[in-house]
Amino acid sequence: MVDFSDKRPNPDDILEDLSSNLENGKGRLEIFFGYAAGVGKTYAMLDDAQEQMKSGVDVLVGYIEQHTRPETIQLLSGLPVLPPKIIEYRNIQLKEFDLDAALKRKPKLILVDELAHTNAPGVRNKKRYQDVEELLNAGIDVFTTVNVQHLESLNDIVENITRISVQETIPDYIFNNADKIKLIDIEPEELLNRFESGKIYRQERTEKALENFFTKENLRLLREIAMRKVANRISYANQNEPHLSPKMANIKLLVCISASPSSTKCIRWTERTAEAFHAPWTAVYVETMESDYFTDLEKQSIRDNLALAERLGAEIVTLNGYDIATVIAEYARLSGITNIVIGKSRNKKTIGNLFKSSLEDQLIEMLASIEIHIIPGNMPRHSTSQYKRRRMRIGKNLYLSWQDAFKTVGLLMIATLFSWGINTLNIGNQNIIMVYILSVQVISRITMGYVYGIAASVLSVLTFNFFFTVPYFTFHSIQKGYPITFFIMLLVALITSALTVRIKTHVRLAVEKEHRTEILYEINKKLLASNDLDGTVMLVNEYMVKVFGRSSILYTQDPVNSLTENFLQSPSDPDASFLLSKDERAVAHWVFMNKKSAGAGSDTLMGAGAFYMPIVSSSKVLGVIGLSCANGKLNQNNRLFLRVIASQVEIALERHVLSNEQRRMTIESEKEKMRSNLLRAISHDLRTPLTGILGASSTILENGINLDDETNKALILNIKEESQWLIRMVENLLSVTRINQEPMNVTKTPEAAEEILAEACSHIHKWFPIRKISVKVPDDLLMVPMEGTLIEQVIINLLENAIKHSPEDSIIKVEAKKLGNNAVFEVSDNGSGISDEEFPNLFEEYVHQKKRSADSSRGMGIGLSICKSIIKAHNGKIDAENKKNGGAVFRFTLPLEESEDNG
Amino acid sequence: MDNKSVILIVEDEEGIANFISAILKANDYKVIKTAKGKEAISMTASYSPDLILLDLGLPDMDGVDVLKTIREWSTIPIVVVSARGYEREKVEALDLGADDYITKPFGTSELLARIRTGIRHSKKYPNENSGDISKTSVGELEIDYNKRLVSISQKAIHLTPIEYKIIVLLSKHIGKVLTHDFIIKEVWGPYTNEIQTLRVNMANIRRKLEENPAEPKYIVTQVGVGYRMVEELEQ
Repeated sequence: MVDFSDKRPNPDDILEDLSSNLENGKGRLEIFFGYAAGVGKTYAMLDDAQEQMKSGVDVLVGYIEQHTRPETIQLLSGLPVLPPKIIEYRNIQLKEFDLDAALKRKPKLILVDELAHTNAPGVRNKKRYQDVEELLNAGIDVFTTVNVQHLESLNDIVENITRISVQETIPDYIFNNADKIKLIDIEPEELLNRFESGKIYRQERTEKALENFFTKENLRLLREIAMRKVANRISYANQNEPHLSPKMANIKLLVCISASPSSTKCIRWTERTAEAFHAPWTAVYVETMESDYFTDLEKQSIRDNLALAERLGAEIVTLNGYDIATVIAEYARLSGITNIVIGKSRNKKTIGNLFKSSLEDQLIEMLASIEIHIIPGNMPRHSTSQYKRRRMRIGKNLYLSWQDAFKTVGLLMIATLFSWGINTLNIGNQNIIMVYILSVQVISRITMGYVYGIAASVLSVLTFNFFFTVPYFTFHSIQKGYPITFFIMLLVALITSALTVRIKTHVRLAVEKEHRTEILYEINKKLLASNDLDGTVMLVNEYMVKVFGRSSILYTQDPVNSLTENFLQSPSDPDASFLLSKDERAVAHWVFMNKKSAGAGSDTLMGAGAFYMPIVSSSKVLGVIGLSCANGKLNQNNRLFLRVIASQVEIALERHVLSNEQRRMTIESEKEKMRSNLLRAISHDLRTPLTGILGASSTILENGINLDDETNKALILNIKEESQWLIRMVENLLSVTRINQEPMNVTKTPEAAEEILAEACSHIHKWFPIRKISVKVPDDLLMVPMEGTLIEQVIINLLENAIKHSPEDSIIKVEAKKLGNNAVFEVSDNGSGISDEEFPNLFEEYVHQKKRSADSSRGMGIGLSICKSIIKAHNGKIDAENKKNGGAVFRFTLPLEESEDNG
Repeated sequence: MDNKSVILIVEDEEGIANFISAILKANDYKVIKTAKGKEAISMTASYSPDLILLDLGLPDMDGVDVLKTIREWSTIPIVVVSARGYEREKVEALDLGADDYITKPFGTSELLARIRTGIRHSKKYPNENSGDISKTSVGELEIDYNKRLVSISQKAIHLTPIEYKIIVLLSKHIGKVLTHDFIIKEVWGPYTNEIQTLRVNMANIRRKLEENPAEPKYIVTQVGVGYRMVEELEQ
């Protein structure tokens, strides 16, 4: 028997897969894929759309290219077409796909031609594929077309074949993640025929296109690449489909990135290889001391390369170190890299290369078991050398300063004077050499860069020659062996100076790294310690400003709905309050909705003044973090660091979400408990009067004639009183439901205290006409913010309580007055007062009822506890005490001024 | 033909409708009943009752819509029946042209008083503004419109122009609840929000008219709705 159990797909997995697909409600992407323009992609797409239309799908033509052939245009008939958006750019009217209109219209299926198209400036997204992604996120199915040369990873291969560089590319993940790929294929001969008859481009463009691109050979090659790409996809899909094998993790590629433009070739090569093996890959950039001398152009190129790698799906790592080979080797060993890809395009004939073995040799030496792939750079020679030259010049310029020059000369002079002293004392020449070497070392230590160390080495040799070798005060040296001395001295000076500089750089880099790690550690610690969301937000903003020196903003909910402004101005930034503007908020909103970074320096909504990054936790966006770019865009390194911080913030926010959830649940369960207690109390309390009513009414009905008038009247009065009691009870219950809907929150409006008192008293008067109530209010009108009907209920309850506990002929006093910032309401009676055992849980929830005998109580416990909830919801206080000369006082206060936190 | 007043009861709870009609019949009114909003409208058109008692919660349509429809062509007094806690609903109904409201649960005397007031007003209404009424008096309070004089027990009371305007407004609709918005619009004009000012003025008036402002006799407050000048003093 063979055991298949472990190979069978887990039904739960499949279900989860299905449900996750349904849950995020993403649209399906179908790509019509061809190897060149004119193979009939658009035609096929429209044909398909017509089919869909016939089967009742809501189809919309989002955008079709203008140079479409007439046969294709015919296929458009009957399909609803979205009018293009006209954009004015440098006095030219450009027609673009109208994304917002499409999102608003929200069809089931939309057709968007030319996936690789680059949008005109001023449109929200830089590339059309980003538009398509938004459509998919909105749950709209998309049909689109793309040619093989537009695939990012194949870009350079196609360029090699056709000698035409294609600027418009789409990232491979779009292609790989598409739900359906349809290869549209015709024979190259057929295609060429179509060409010659001018079906593809308009006549005047055909000539040129034919010459460059559409040769039979090119087309055949392109066709092969396209077919292979699709075949690859199928085989990949086959492997992944049955949920059987875990991802092949035994191969892991690493590509080394430099500022050289040829790096892009390495990146693409690695991507293709990784794709072929279905292996993960990492792009690494080593920051050395040289990085400081890079020109803006080179920095840009590094940024571009890293961005490219990221787009193609690589994991990005930036390392620091002096020696590139050691750093890479270390990293490769630690992270289990099996293959390393490096580009080779450096100039051979430099002094450095004479002494240093090349990177690949070093790597091979250090990593015996790792395969190394070398990709030759095919850069035109002159441009490479231009790169090199400029770096040297600018590198030196950067660190020339008068201060350092002065230090150098000063130290050399001191050394010379000291040596002069040694010389006059007739101590050997060798000591003088040592003095000079010492001075060179000191100079390299206290100056910046190589320049002064080298200058000092040369100068010290010259001064030594001039002052201390026979003949004195000339640059001649007669004694044999001096040239060797000079040479060795120069070498020693050079090497020590180089070493010192290197150590210094190391120290600086180490300190920088240390600093970042420290900050991360600190953030982590503080985030863990912070308990409330506001504190966390403040903390994050503080650190962002501290680390990046930029103004920062953090949204913890959808920015459009966010009312709080969690924004911190950095002292080194110009005024950054623009972060709060509506436009910026809209960008942040987009980020929130699309779970993608956007804003300045990214590909989406580039016009924004800040860079926004979503904080995503298990596919839910918890917040958006924004950094002002008023002082220039963020570099790759900053972005990476921002991402690391974002992941810390994510953990913190997640924690808050969870704890909020838990708190909500606790409150909920408490409320539930209260409700069931209440229910129990009520049903008991209701039974008593209902029994009375039922008894009295049935007595009258059945024996009405036999009873004397007085008894009859007494019974009816009884019914009336019991019903009135029931009504008051129900009013109380209604009040409870009104505060329970929103936990502990009421809508307050200013009400005149006397009006509320008067209304409450008139109610009581109706029910207990014989009782006397004296009401006192201040002479000045007392306006108190409250929910009128609820406070009226409180007063009614207190009055009823007083009536119940005091003799019939006594007077009940009600008073309202102002005391500082509070309004005080008092209800006092001359009754029995409150007994000691009642005191502790006078206002308690309904539980204490059980302690008393079942018949003695008539829901007063409910009345007082309701008073307490109402007053609590008003941020007020309620208490009771016994008067000295008998009777009880119930007193509650309401704040006159609305406090800041309303809840 | 007898000249009994006809009351239309629009109420879907049979128990309540029965008890109301019993009271009304006992007090010499003629009663017609319906439980449906649509029927209420057609019955109003065909019977032209003297007063409509309208419950706002009806099974077939919103009571407020019934009110609106009837008000399009008729000024028959309408008293709205609504529960406590639905103050906004009452204000809406009053602003839409209801003459008065009564809060469930209510007693018989209260109901009869409202109906009396309603019918009396409809009879007075046509010539209300023509100026033939020169005086209104309730208990000790007397308002002389010609002399622009308000007095209590023959003692003149000094009022500011705004206060006088408010008193006149309330007295002209004596017995009826006037909503805050209505008073503000009549006294200060449209597009103003003077609710605080109104309250301060009311407090001042009360201090001038009433013995104890916390136990007003003449002008009573309906919390969350508005003010009413009583027609007859409570004993």
